[in-house]
Amino acid sequence: MEFKVKVYRFNPEFDDKPYYKDYVLEDFPGMTVLNALISIKSEIDGTLSFRRSCRSAICGSCAMKINGISKLACKTQVGPEIEKFGIIKIDPLSNMPIIRDLVVEQEGFFDKIKEIQPYLMGKSNVGEHADDFHALKEGEKITQPVFFKSEFRNLTGNNDTPNCILCECCYSECGGVTGNKDYLGPAALAKLYRYSEDPRDNDKNGTRLVNGSKPNRMWDCVHCQACEEFCPKGISPVKSIVKLHEKAIKNSINFSNGAKHIISIAKSIGETGGLDEIKVALDTGGITGLISDLPMAFGAGLKGKIPPIRLKLIKDMEDIRLAYKILDLEEK
Amino acid sequence: MLRHDVVIVGAGLAGLRTCVELRKKGIDAIIVSKVYPTRSHSGAAQGGVNAAFDENDSWESHFFDTVKGSDYLGDQDAIEILTSEASANILELQKMGVVFNRNAAGGIAQRPFGGQSFPRSCYYADAVGHMMLHGLFDNVLKYNTKILYEYFVTSLVVDDGKVSGIVAYDIKNGRFEGISAKAVLFATGGYGQVYSSNTNALINTGDGMAVSIKAGIPLMDMEFVQFHPTTLKSTGILVTEGARGEGAYLLNSLGVRFMSKYAPKTMELAPRDLVARAEQTEINEGRGVDGAILLDVRHLGKERIMEKLPQIMQLSIDFEGVNPIYEPIPIRPGAHYSMGGIKTDNNCRTIIRGFYSAGESACVSVHGANRLGGNSLLDTVVFGRRAGIDIAEYIKGAVYGKFDESILKRDEEIFENLKESSGKERHGLLKAELQEEMRADVGVFREEIAMKKAIEKIEGLKERAKNIGIDDKSKTFNTDIVEAFEFNNILLMAEVIARGAVSRKESRGAHYRTDFPERDDTNWLKHTLATLDDKGNIKFDFSNVSISKFEPKPRTY
Ligand SMILES: Cc1cc2nc3c(=O)[nH]c(=O)nc-3n(C[C@H](O)[C@H](O)[C@H](O)COP(=O)(O)OP(=O)(O)OC[C@H]3O[C@@H](n4cnc5c(N)ncnc54)[C@H](O)[C@@H]3O)c2cc1C
Ligand code: SF4
Ligand code: SF4
Ligand code: FES
Repeated sequence: MEFKVKVYRFNPEFDDKPYYKDYVLEDFPGMTVLNALISIKSEIDGTLSFRRSCRSAICGSCAMKINGISKLACKTQVGPEIEKFGIIKIDPLSNMPIIRDLVVEQEGFFDKIKEIQPYLMGKSNVGEHADDFHALKEGEKITQPVFFKSEFRNLTGNNDTPNCILCECCYSECGGVTGNKDYLGPAALAKLYRYSEDPRDNDKNGTRLVNGSKPNRMWDCVHCQACEEFCPKGISPVKSIVKLHEKAIKNSINFSNGAKHIISIAKSIGETGGLDEIKVALDTGGITGLISDLPMAFGAGLKGKIPPIRLKLIKDMEDIRLAYKILDLEEK
Repeated sequence: MLRHDVVIVGAGLAGLRTCVELRKKGIDAIIVSKVYPTRSHSGAAQGGVNAAFDENDSWESHFFDTVKGSDYLGDQDAIEILTSEASANILELQKMGVVFNRNAAGGIAQRPFGGQSFPRSCYYADAVGHMMLHGLFDNVLKYNTKILYEYFVTSLVVDDGKVSGIVAYDIKNGRFEGISAKAVLFATGGYGQVYSSNTNALINTGDGMAVSIKAGIPLMDMEFVQFHPTTLKSTGILVTEGARGEGAYLLNSLGVRFMSKYAPKTMELAPRDLVARAEQTEINEGRGVDGAILLDVRHLGKERIMEKLPQIMQLSIDFEGVNPIYEPIPIRPGAHYSMGGIKTDNNCRTIIRGFYSAGESACVSVHGANRLGGNSLLDTVVFGRRAGIDIAEYIKGAVYGKFDESILKRDEEIFENLKESSGKERHGLLKAELQEEMRADVGVFREEIAMKKAIEKIEGLKERAKNIGIDDKSKTFNTDIVEAFEFNNILLMAEVIARGAVSRKESRGAHYRTDFPERDDTNWLKHTLATLDDKGNIKFDFSNVSISKFEPKPRTY
């Protein structure tokens, strides 16, 4: 079967503005979008530029927008796309500057990963074994430190954050980044969560959480859920972010507006069973904060990404109080 | 011109491990890589990394298994290092943040792997390479390392037997950069792209080896190419040996577990060379299923498959349209690993002072004629670390050498000429022809006449390569020109492999000659060393194998 591929093209050296170029290909069973791009490049048009490496959905090179959605080209089959859209339309990822064709500038994305201090902190409590590194002598055995499966429970599941391949699909779809270019974004925050959950971590002073609570970080997520929806590895960064919020509040790291916001909401609901939005906004950022939030809320609104906190009035206050007791939130 | 004490080319596990060792000592080491570090092919490793931890296991047993697996071509002094340092290296990784699955006693969980007499492969589900790569990379970030990514290295600069730097092409900006250095490490990975139907990333084009042989450094044992027994039929994507480690069966068209005929004791967990040949024999004798063999995990049950082999399940669904919970997976042998590489000593040094290599691009040799599953990841960290330690010592007394700028000019010219060429040949198509020829005639089974045909084909392709035309005239992220350069590298690698395979008149490990089916220790218990003469022709020398503890014996499983 013949099908059409419509590809975004732009080379700043030669083109004033971007355009689309159409290619017609013949499909074969199991053909992926990456296969299609490779045959365009090697047989028809060598000037098409894109990144690729592993072709097995593990290196994160080939993320691009396929029929409007950020996906891995190597993992996306041509057949179902054609069935649904009748065409394969390919664009570069969003939320990142375009270098050329489907190649985006990743520097900003990777800088943000670095910002969250993605490594074990403090003196790691893995025993001293590695400090006196030596080759084993004849008959010598090594003893290993003991860690039970349960201690790594949030790090060894199929969809847990260590499986992130830094492909940027989530980042490209993230409403938070769209509204605020400085927001760290889902992948970086998922990684922050990953290290905060590591039983070997020895971040006694909560540096990582304090750092993560600064402006443009964990509290700037607008909860649009896109990261969860579009992650090709089935990871949910937004769940990690919510857990980070819980951790921050539990550890009384509540200097950030986001934390104040949540605490105020909790207080408002805890006291009245309802949400006093003005009071919450005032508690959070004061009157200037309230005003300065507007453009960002407006920007996110324009892209159809609206914070989901739209609580209805609830009648049974007793139930709410009980729920709070259980959640151990009341006194915080 | 940039200047750094140490330049590490390649950001897979070997390069990153070396980097951490140097950076934690505060040494001025930078990384140069043609892709962003986390895109390196190490991330694709699925199954596991070997080390003896169990009290009923021993590193000595790992030592012997590796020597036997190598068909006695591995250097025993090097293998002793690999296996006696294995467990300490794994614990060190764990300390750096790498996560491994746990066993009931709270230790690292381990699974059986082919050719290993004990379950000693440490794993993280079926994504251990990914876990190790990201864990090590996070440490590289911790030490605030300068990374030149999407820089494609084209030459090594040598001054009077001593390294003085490298030349690299900055892909994004289309310009060449010279980097002068006291020490250079190549951790540039393998050359799986020489073959069609391979498990490797598209970037595995043997660049580091090609650059090295052109700079006068010998490549060792290049004719030994590992064919992995279980790669997806239509794409060559790997199905980890861990699947057989978990108990998967290999079935022919009659539904028979045919390994009973070839390796009655170890069955599916025989070493890779044996299983690959068994499969190919079944296929050739008409007991295949559409040119494939079936890998069956159904009896493991849904839960175990989802817990231990989730990536395999997903890959089979995405790339083969088969859900292994309900159906067997069609697989066949595919090119997987380069046993050969840049000849180094046990501290990763080469014959050029200050020039090192580690990982798949190097040949120490710990894998000999056949690598055991789970030993390659181990190789990258053990020798990556050793390289770091040795380089740290070396640069103390070293000074910057003279950087011959004409090499940079020459590479610039090669690229310019390529770009301007109006030739009619498309490198993408030439590559496909080369890969198919190599699979057909220098593959699992080899024989003189077919291999000579392959060499003729390669000669023809070399001529045609002079007529390659480049569509892309741009300076911005020009991947067309990079791919053309990569094609020339795999073409050179193919020739070294094919000529080496013709010259080795015996069968050993992964190198199987139907016209010389026996191992010949009298004449061929030696390493092949390939270099280029003045005219660019490949010539061979040989060197002895280090044998310390284990005298060569017939290899049965
Ligand atoms: C699918 C698959 C599964 C595997 N599973 C296992 C397993 O379970 N256990 C095991 O032990 N082994 C396994 N292996 C083998 C093992 O993964 C590799 O041998 C090992 O990871 C190689 O690591 P490396 O650091 O040497 O090279 P790589 O990870 O390949 O890295 C090479 C680096 O060199 C850079 N580079 C290359 N050329 C240039 C150039 N011209 N200029 C600049 N940079 C360059 C690349 O950008 C890259 O960063 C597997 C291999 C494959 C293909
Ligand atoms: S939920 Fe938060 S992190 Fe995820 S995409 Fe939306 S704004 Fe970004
Ligand atoms: S969280 Fe998912 S979508 Fe985001 S970078 Fe990681 S793997 Fe990609
Ligand atoms: S090519 Fe590696 S994820 Fe697609």
